[in-house]
Amino acid sequence: MSESTHDGPALAWRDVTITYATGVVAVDGVDLVVPRGATIGVAGESGSGKSTLVMAALRLLPRDARLEGTVELDGEDVGAMTFGRLRAVRWTSAAIVFQGAMHSLNPVRTVERQVAEALELHRDEQYPDAAARRARVLELLGLVDLPASTAGAYPHELSGGQKQRVMIALALACDPDVIIADEPTTALDVVVQAQVLRVLSGLVADRGLTLVMISHDLAVLAAVCERIVVMRDGRVVEEGLSREVLTDPQHEHTRELAAAFPVIGDESARYTVGHDRERILPTTAPALAPAERDDPGRDTADSARDRHTQGVGGAVLAVRDLVVDFRSRGRAVRAVDHVSLECAPGEIVALVGQSGSGKTTLARSILGLQRPTSGEVLFEGEPMPRDRAGLRAYRRRIQFVLQDPSASLNPKHTVYEAVAEGLRIHRLEREGVDEAARVAQALEQAELTPTERYATSLPSQLSGGQRQRVVIAGALALEPSYLVADEPVASLDASVRGEILALLLRLRRDLGLGALVITHDLGLAWNVADRVLVMHQGRIVEDGPVEEVLLDPQHDYTRSLLEVVPSRLGSHA
Amino acid sequence: MVRPSSAARLRRRARLREVWSEFASQRSGLVGLVLLLVIVVLALLAPLLVPIERLDVTRVTAPSNAAPSGGHWLGTDPQGRDVLAVLLWGSRASLLVGFAATAVSMVLGTVVGMAAGHFRGLWQGVILRFVDFFLVVPSLMLAIVLSSVLSRGLGTIILAIGVTSWAQTARIVRAQTLTIESRPYIERSIALGAGDVHVLGRHVLPSVMPLVLANTTLAVGSAIIAESTLSFLGLGDPTTFSWGSMLKSALDTGAATAGYWWYVLPPGLAIVVVVLCFTLVGRALESVLNPTLRSR
Repeated sequence: MSESTHDGPALAWRDVTITYATGVVAVDGVDLVVPRGATIGVAGESGSGKSTLVMAALRLLPRDARLEGTVELDGEDVGAMTFGRLRAVRWTSAAIVFQGAMHSLNPVRTVERQVAEALELHRDEQYPDAAARRARVLELLGLVDLPASTAGAYPHELSGGQKQRVMIALALACDPDVIIADEPTTALDVVVQAQVLRVLSGLVADRGLTLVMISHDLAVLAAVCERIVVMRDGRVVEEGLSREVLTDPQHEHTRELAAAFPVIGDESARYTVGHDRERILPTTAPALAPAERDDPGRDTADSARDRHTQGVGGAVLAVRDLVVDFRSRGRAVRAVDHVSLECAPGEIVALVGQSGSGKTTLARSILGLQRPTSGEVLFEGEPMPRDRAGLRAYRRRIQFVLQDPSASLNPKHTVYEAVAEGLRIHRLEREGVDEAARVAQALEQAELTPTERYATSLPSQLSGGQRQRVVIAGALALEPSYLVADEPVASLDASVRGEILALLLRLRRDLGLGALVITHDLGLAWNVADRVLVMHQGRIVEDGPVEEVLLDPQHDYTRSLLEVVPSRLGSHA
Repeated sequence: MVRPSSAARLRRRARLREVWSEFASQRSGLVGLVLLLVIVVLALLAPLLVPIERLDVTRVTAPSNAAPSGGHWLGTDPQGRDVLAVLLWGSRASLLVGFAATAVSMVLGTVVGMAAGHFRGLWQGVILRFVDFFLVVPSLMLAIVLSSVLSRGLGTIILAIGVTSWAQTARIVRAQTLTIESRPYIERSIALGAGDVHVLGRHVLPSVMPLVLANTTLAVGSAIIAESTLSFLGLGDPTTFSWGSMLKSALDTGAATAGYWWYVLPPGLAIVVVVLCFTLVGRALESVLNPTLRSR
C-alpha cells in the first residue's frame, strides 16, 4: 500500500514530552510502540493528554506546543520531516478520523467533493480524471456501508452516524497504513455507535490496518482494539490486553474508568459508585424520611402534604396518557405518544432511550416547561397547575437538574447566588427562612464543603463535577419532594460521573429524595435506579424493576438496546 | 455563614479596574475621554466664567459682528454678544439634550428590546411591528412633527429625539436577549420557578447592559447632531442658546456670505469635536466590553 519498505513499528513515540506555552505539560515522557497491523486504544479523561499525544504523530499540534523526544512514523522521524514530506505523509501513510463529524465536514460541499479532495491532493496520477475519482469515491462509500446516493448529499442531509462513516471513508481515501481515530463515536447514541464501531473494526480486520483509537470509554476501545493504554495527567498508567484491562484493572484510575461503564448484570455494580466503592442502599422506608428530617424551615403544611401523599397510595409523580406534539415546517411531530408512568416517593427511576425518543420532552412536560397537547401530570395526587402562581408553587416542589452544568449556571453569578436563586424567587425569607443558613445547608448536602470556600466562587473556577453539585444544591435549597435529572452525568468525566451518582444515592438515603433520571446509558440505570422505563419513538415500551428489565428484557427494542451496550460489544469481539 | 456580598463588591471593583486598564490602553478613546471631560467641566462652569448678564442684548456695549480681538477672542455676533460666551452657554443645552435624549432612547430601547426578545407569540409580533414602525419612519421628520406640535422648549426636543431614536437599540438588545435566553441557565431558572421579571432582571439585563452602555456613548453624538438640526431648523427653544440656534442665527443674518467666519465656524466645529469625542469613547468602550471586536 505505502511506498515504505520499512518493517519496524508503524508508529512509535520515544520518550515524548509535550509542553504548551502556558506551562501545562500535556504529555509527560511517554514511550509507546504500535507494531504494524496492531490495534491500540488510548483511554483517558479530558485533559489526560491522549489527543495531544496522538496528534503529534502527524505534527498536528497547536503552534505553542513544544515537543521533546521523537515520534516515528514508518521508522521516519516526524519532527525532522520537511513540510513537503509531511504533507505527502499526512493522509497517505496515516489518516485521522476526527472527533465530532458534525464540525469536521464542510457544510457547503457535497460528500463526493470532500472525499475527492483528498484524492486530488495525493493520488492525482492514480485517479487522473473526474470519472476515476468518482468511481473511487463510490467504492469508498461502499466500504463504509453507505449507499452511492450519499455521494451527492450535503452533510446536513446525513445523520450523525452517516457523517461519522463519511469521515471514515475520507480517512481511507488514500489507502493509509495507519488510521488514527479520535473519539469517533463520542457524540453518537449507543445504537449508532455500535454501527460505526462495527464498520471500523471490520475494515481494520479486512485490510490489516494499524489503528490507534482514542476514547474515554474503555468498553468501546475493548470492542475494537487488542490492546489498551490508559493515560492520566500525560503519563501512561496502565497498558495491557483489552480484556485484561477491562476485567482486571491494575491501576486505580483504570478501575474508575471501568466503573463508569458497569457490566449489566454484575451485582456488585448496583448502588456502588464513585471512588470509595461504597455501597449506598436505599432506606427501608424512604417515604418516611422527609418527615423525620430535622428541619426548622419545613412548615406544617408540608408535613401534612407528605402524610396526605402516603395516604393516596404512594405515587409522588404520575403521568396519565400524556401526548406532546410539535409543529415543525408545517408537519406535526408526535414527541410523546400516550405515555403514562408513576414514580413512588424516594424511588429512583431511570428513563432510558435513544436520542430523539422524546425523553427530554417528557421531562420538560413534567416540569411544566412544555405544554402537553393532551393528558395530565399529577404531582402528589393533584394535577399540575396551569396558571402562573400555581406553576410557581409547583416548581418549588419538583426540581430540575440539567445535562450540561457548565451552561446551566449563569457565568456571572457566584455559587452562593446560584444556590440562593430559588429561595429569592420564592421569597422564602418572608416565610422566615434564613437564606444564608439554607444555602450553607444545601451546599453541605451537595457535599461542597467547606461551604465558605465555594460560596464566593464563580462557576468558571469550578470543575465540571463541582458545577453539577452547585446545580443540585440549588435544587436542594428549595427542599423539593422530587428531582428530575436530564442526563445528569453525560457531559462529565468518568470518575466524576461516579461521584455525582453516589451523591444522588446518598440524597435518597439521607433525605428520602427520589429522582427521575433521564439517560441513554443503560449502565447508569443499572448503577443507581430502582426501576427502568424504556422509551422508544415517544412511547414507553417497557417498565419494570431494573433487574427484570435489564436481565430479562421482554420488548424487542430493549433487547436491541442491550445488545449494543459497549460492554456487550466487547464480549462479541 | 456571612453573606458574601462584600466578596461580590470586591469582584465588581476588580472587574471595573480591569475594564479601565483595558480602556486606558487605547489612546484614541483616552484622548476623547479627556477632551469630553474638559468640555463638560467648561459647560458646568459657564455661569461662573461668563455671567448670563453679559449675553443680555440690552446691555451689550460691543459693536456687532466685530472680528476676533483681545477683548473678544472669537469676535461678536450680530447682536454684539461675545461669540465665545454664547458658545459656552450653548454647550450646556447641546450636552444636556444629548445626554437626556440618549437616556430616554436607551431606557425605551432596552425595555422594548428585552420585551421583544422575551415574550413569544402575539405579544412579540405586536412589539416587533411597533419597533419596525419607528425604524422605517424617518426619525428627523417625526422629530420635526413632534417638536412643532408640542410646546416649545428643551423638554420637547429631548422627548422628540429620544422617542425617535430608540428603535436601533431595541433591535440590538432584542438580539442579545434571544442569545441569552437560549442558554440552559435560563431554563434552570424557570424550572426553579422564576417569572418574567426575575429572568429579565437577574439574567438578561446584566448581560445586555454592557452592550447598551457602549451603544449609549455612540448615541449621545447623534442626539447632539439631532438637537443642532432641530434648532437650526428653528424648532428649538428660542430663549436658550444652543449650537444649533447659533448656526441658525448665523444663517438668518447672512454671517457666512458676509464673511463673518467667526460666527459660523465655532459652533460647527464644536459639534464635530464633541460628536467625535463621544464616538472615540464609544468605540473604545465597545471593544473593551466586546472582546470579539478587538484586533479588527
